[in-house]
Amino acid sequence: MRRRNRSKEIREGSGLRFLRSGLIFLSGLVGAASAVAADSPAELFRNTIQPVLKQQCLGCHGEGNIFSNLDLRTRAAALKGGQRGPAIVSGSPDASLLMAAIDHAGELAMPPGGPEKQLPQETRDAFRAWIAAGALYADGHSTAKWDFEEGDIWAFRPVKRVEPPTEGVDPSGVQTPVDSFVLARLAEKGLEPAPRADKRTLIRRLTFDLTGLPPTPGEVQAFLDDESEGAYKKVVERLLDSPRYGERWGRHWLDVTRYADTAGYSNDFVRPNAWRYRDYVIRAFNSDKAYDRFVLEQIAGDELFPDDPEAILATGFLRMGPWEHTGMAVAAVTRQLFLDDVTHHVGQSFLGLTLACARCHDHKFDPIPTKDYYRMQAVFAKTAFARRPLPFLPSESTEGFDQGRKPIQTRLEELERRMNDLHEAARERLALEKGPEAAADARTTTLQRYLSSEQAELLKLLRKRVIMHKRSVLRFEPLAMTVSNGYVAEWEHLRYRNSYLQPGDYAGAKTHVLVGGDIQAPGEEVSPGVLEAVARYSDLPAPQIPDRLSGRRSALARWIADARNPLTSRVLVNRVWQYHFGRGLAANANNFGKMGKKPSHPELLDWLATFFIEQGWSVKAVHRVILYSEAYRRASDHPNRELVDQVDPENIYLARFSPRRLEAEEIRDSMMAVAGELSDFVGGPGTYAQINMDVAQQPRHAMGTLQPVYEAEPTRRRRNRRSVYHFQRRSMMDPMIEVFNGANPDLTCERREASTVPTQAFALLNADLSRDMALIMAQRLDSLPAWMRVDGAFRLALGRGPTSQERDWTEEFVAEMTAHHAENPAAPRRPQADIVHTITSELTGERFEFVQPAYSGPYEHHPHPSEMPPGTRAWADLALALFNSNEFVYVY
Amino acid sequence: MKRPVLTARPSRRELLYHSGMGLGAIALSAMLQKDRAQAGVLAPKRGHHDAKAKNCIFLLMEGGPSHIDTFDPKPKLAELHMREFVKEKNKFEASMNTGKRYFVRSPFEFRRAGRMGIEINAKLAHFADCVDDVCFYRGLQATSVNHPTALYHLNTGNRFGGDPAIGSWVTYGLGTENQNLPGFVVLPDLAYPQGGAGNWSNGFLPAHYQGTPLRSQGAPVLDMRPPEYVTEHQQRKTLDFLGRLNRSHSQRHPHHDELASRIESYELAFRMQADMPEAINIDSEPEATRELYGVGSGNSEVDSIARRCLLARRLVERGVRFVQVIVSGWDSHEYIEKAHGTRLDSIDRPIAGLLKDLKRSGLLEETLVVWAGEFGRTPDNGLRGGQTVWGRDHNAPAMAFWVAGGAAPRGKIVGATDETGRNAVEVVHPIKNMHVTLLHLLGLDDTRLTYFAQGRQKQLSQTGGELIKELIA
Repeated sequence: MRRRNRSKEIREGSGLRFLRSGLIFLSGLVGAASAVAADSPAELFRNTIQPVLKQQCLGCHGEGNIFSNLDLRTRAAALKGGQRGPAIVSGSPDASLLMAAIDHAGELAMPPGGPEKQLPQETRDAFRAWIAAGALYADGHSTAKWDFEEGDIWAFRPVKRVEPPTEGVDPSGVQTPVDSFVLARLAEKGLEPAPRADKRTLIRRLTFDLTGLPPTPGEVQAFLDDESEGAYKKVVERLLDSPRYGERWGRHWLDVTRYADTAGYSNDFVRPNAWRYRDYVIRAFNSDKAYDRFVLEQIAGDELFPDDPEAILATGFLRMGPWEHTGMAVAAVTRQLFLDDVTHHVGQSFLGLTLACARCHDHKFDPIPTKDYYRMQAVFAKTAFARRPLPFLPSESTEGFDQGRKPIQTRLEELERRMNDLHEAARERLALEKGPEAAADARTTTLQRYLSSEQAELLKLLRKRVIMHKRSVLRFEPLAMTVSNGYVAEWEHLRYRNSYLQPGDYAGAKTHVLVGGDIQAPGEEVSPGVLEAVARYSDLPAPQIPDRLSGRRSALARWIADARNPLTSRVLVNRVWQYHFGRGLAANANNFGKMGKKPSHPELLDWLATFFIEQGWSVKAVHRVILYSEAYRRASDHPNRELVDQVDPENIYLARFSPRRLEAEEIRDSMMAVAGELSDFVGGPGTYAQINMDVAQQPRHAMGTLQPVYEAEPTRRRRNRRSVYHFQRRSMMDPMIEVFNGANPDLTCERREASTVPTQAFALLNADLSRDMALIMAQRLDSLPAWMRVDGAFRLALGRGPTSQERDWTEEFVAEMTAHHAENPAAPRRPQADIVHTITSELTGERFEFVQPAYSGPYEHHPHPSEMPPGTRAWADLALALFNSNEFVYVY
Repeated sequence: MKRPVLTARPSRRELLYHSGMGLGAIALSAMLQKDRAQAGVLAPKRGHHDAKAKNCIFLLMEGGPSHIDTFDPKPKLAELHMREFVKEKNKFEASMNTGKRYFVRSPFEFRRAGRMGIEINAKLAHFADCVDDVCFYRGLQATSVNHPTALYHLNTGNRFGGDPAIGSWVTYGLGTENQNLPGFVVLPDLAYPQGGAGNWSNGFLPAHYQGTPLRSQGAPVLDMRPPEYVTEHQQRKTLDFLGRLNRSHSQRHPHHDELASRIESYELAFRMQADMPEAINIDSEPEATRELYGVGSGNSEVDSIARRCLLARRLVERGVRFVQVIVSGWDSHEYIEKAHGTRLDSIDRPIAGLLKDLKRSGLLEETLVVWAGEFGRTPDNGLRGGQTVWGRDHNAPAMAFWVAGGAAPRGKIVGATDETGRNAVEVVHPIKNMHVTLLHLLGLDDTRLTYFAQGRQKQLSQTGGELIKELIA
């Protein structure tokens, strides 16, 4: 209670203040001793002990002098003590000389100066509690133990070279070594595998899995007709070669790395060139970039491969987290936020460890002392944000740049015009009062005072919006969002203005253990390093990381990408397995520590990791060995389902295949694909999809004013692209994606949930997007001869023809709806209207209205029911029903 | 013209019997079982201990209302007015708070109210009647002076976002009484707050616990209504057809029980659609009640806040567990007299109306009402706008907060700030302890209300906190 407040004063101020607050403290507060006891040792040290040590003790015993040969700066030195012997006996306050000295209980009375200078009782109680708890010091390292249960550190042990088992394995069920492992476990459980799924099911399963899209009717038919031995493998290879593969599997990696096109928090500023990292990831998957190289490039591409532009783009990885610095924030704190973010996420993404737990205290479950956390953080101490010119690569698409830039440029010009008009108006008034010279050099904050409060509010809004649109236009420039070690004169860097701390001093940046994770409580200084546990438990020695400006990240990256690193390869093959089967061999893909689920097939995990490295870290090789297996091809149901459900209700042992609901992007993209509307061009700056109009036009606060209005792309080709290419705004997800458990870009997402909530029904049934795609699909069906339409609708949407019963229902339904629409003409399309945003003004507390005129350029509408004959509208009703059907959204 | 809603709700039986085909008894019982399981997710649950309050209305004042100008008067500032405020350079200071700074007095009059003569801003004439039901807490401290992080901190316990909102935790702990309405509803202001929907996110909790923002215009829930060209008949027929497709598909996959729950989710959606219009129909309230809140007041700001407050009561009354009402516009760095003045004029009647209405119906006994901003404001200012239009900047170590209803103390001040209002100095607690206390007042124990995520059991207070005993009567 007051204790907190007091310690804050100690930190801030002089001894005098300290005494005063001590007096406040002593004047009649009860129960404070118990509050001290409630603090953790680390908190106790940070809040109470360390400030007192600094102000009262270290002047003589550590920093200025080392009187009596006693150094109280570190725990080790305090335990060792000075001329009179140990100052602290850990765990025994009564045996500690320090305690006796501050209690004035023996011949020593500290701090010197008589009873007046004696520390308040509360503080002495805190020292007593602190020593009793082990006198934990700043380094957070003193309690690190290495006596972990073997089962909890399995992931740190070397990857074992294992042979596929043969016992209990029927060779006829083995297509790849994967099957041997799976069958052996099934045999142990007394379960028989389900038979192979039928071909229709398989091609649908494979196509969604590898591309996130449904197979076309032609692709289904070709596979059914191909009775050759290698028909299945041909499909796998075709899909692995498809550019759609990287769009789907790149998205998985973007889930892990928290990709978005904006920075989050109050302004949610556009990150103009983040998209080049997204496209880099997609290209890396499509070209089957060796994963060790993929790791090296993302952590240290700029250091290791300075001449490879791909490697420069890759370092965007380091900046993917939400991050913002404004005048409202403390520069040292926001810099630290980045450091914590990048440390944790390197651990999470590549090593499957939750490093953040070790920020404040030694990891409670895993062998990660706080010191290791900060040693890894020191690797990034020199890393500065950089935006640098980087010409577009031949592999980067610049299709439609002009079309994309135009609407934003138009808006920008309109906003600048309005802003300049206001500036002029203010200048005129200012000139009248203070003369033309004053008006000429007036800054905008001055100008604002010569406007009405309503105009001032408008000016604030316009200024912010101009900044935002300028950033948005920058997306089309050949710039890279990357990092550098310290500042490079020719590049743009984030600089902290008006700040007492200049984190721009990268050459001199040092890393300290932060006690309790608190930036105001720096402890021991650390040099860059890696996790000690890996060297301790595996055969990969810890590297020497240079203490220089450059080369730190390379050393860390090489250590992670080393074939002997037991975590890296296991984590990746486990992720791949999880995306194929819905559940990882170790079920928590981001957590290979004690609190993650233990692997169900540890030998298979190790076999795959070994195989992966032997195949040159080829992700596609891992796909093949999994997809070619019999385990992947099993039916989702089982002849002896009751037994299977009893023995293995979660289907961990894979007697059958687990069906899954499509992910958000798959649902959205599939509607467009079966409507024939999905654009196929790849890459480039995020395009603006059609999203719910209420959300698009919802006013949203930015710092001091409003965010720009969301406006969909005017052309269909740009509007109707795969979801991965759409502009991802942190503060406003596409509701169609969000409602189907899309990945929240502020958090790493190891696995998509598939919970079913009623608002999903609203989205699929009522959203303009679903309705529009249904109508476009109806137009597509219109182009077929009448007798083929029912068949075509089912084949497009579900990959199969209708049953005779379904055919009857459909014909009846379409006939009925055609009649209904003939009698009920649709209300016409509403013209695009001006967008009016109303907010409460910060300057007046009254309402303030901003009108953005409707977009004046050409807009390519989707067809509208009012323009369609009743028959087409009826077929759209059918298409909508198909989009909403369970069969559409589940894969078996 | 009022358009028909999406469709009348098709009952389960209708769905079965209109399907034109028999459905096996097995499928039916599977569906019913699933129904019970589904209700289980949000079904009302007992808390960890008995508590008077069962619901919560959280009045979030976005932007950081000044404690000094609302509920914590500082006459000392009148003395210090326009005196330079000198402080040590501190590298942990935001640039906002740097440069030359001056103490500024409150431009507002204060008055005494209630039996104890508690001082409040004199503009709050209606709220003055409610002071005896309110506990003003002056010891609370935030951490961040940056809006979005401070908002995330107040709403989710985690300054950096991504964690479940307090409303999600409460719904996770207690379920909700009305299965046809969302359990956690947010009534946003005209513009969404900084940090956006992260302020009512379910974080790592299942999606059922996500806050549902009810919109004041258009469909209250996104896409709850079809586009205007869709007729009710068309929607109904499409759904019947969909039902046929789904049932024949279910027959082919008898063991896939997610199918039944997805069918059920469509039914839930329609029940929500049927019940929502009634729940949000403020016009059905008696004239006197609307008047009490200020609905229909000539002032559009009063009217808008009044509607949200009245709607909050209607929702709680219908079994919604947690309602958050957001009132923006408190970020008065300049022009505080005008901006805070207008804000106070706007909230006075609606919030007093809410407290009075809850009290007379007895709902206040079981509804916790919380009023808070994300931080307080400084006693000093950089006078960017000049000497006449001063305001106040962001201040974390002291802020404005009150709570009423349930087992919260009534007509009391807890804690104190120093003489300028910069720091809380008595009964000082961080946000996490306030969270622990609110959960406690709702019958929940923060250390037991946990969910496994990111490698550990997570909780609202992040790593545990202590109860503020003074806030429990």
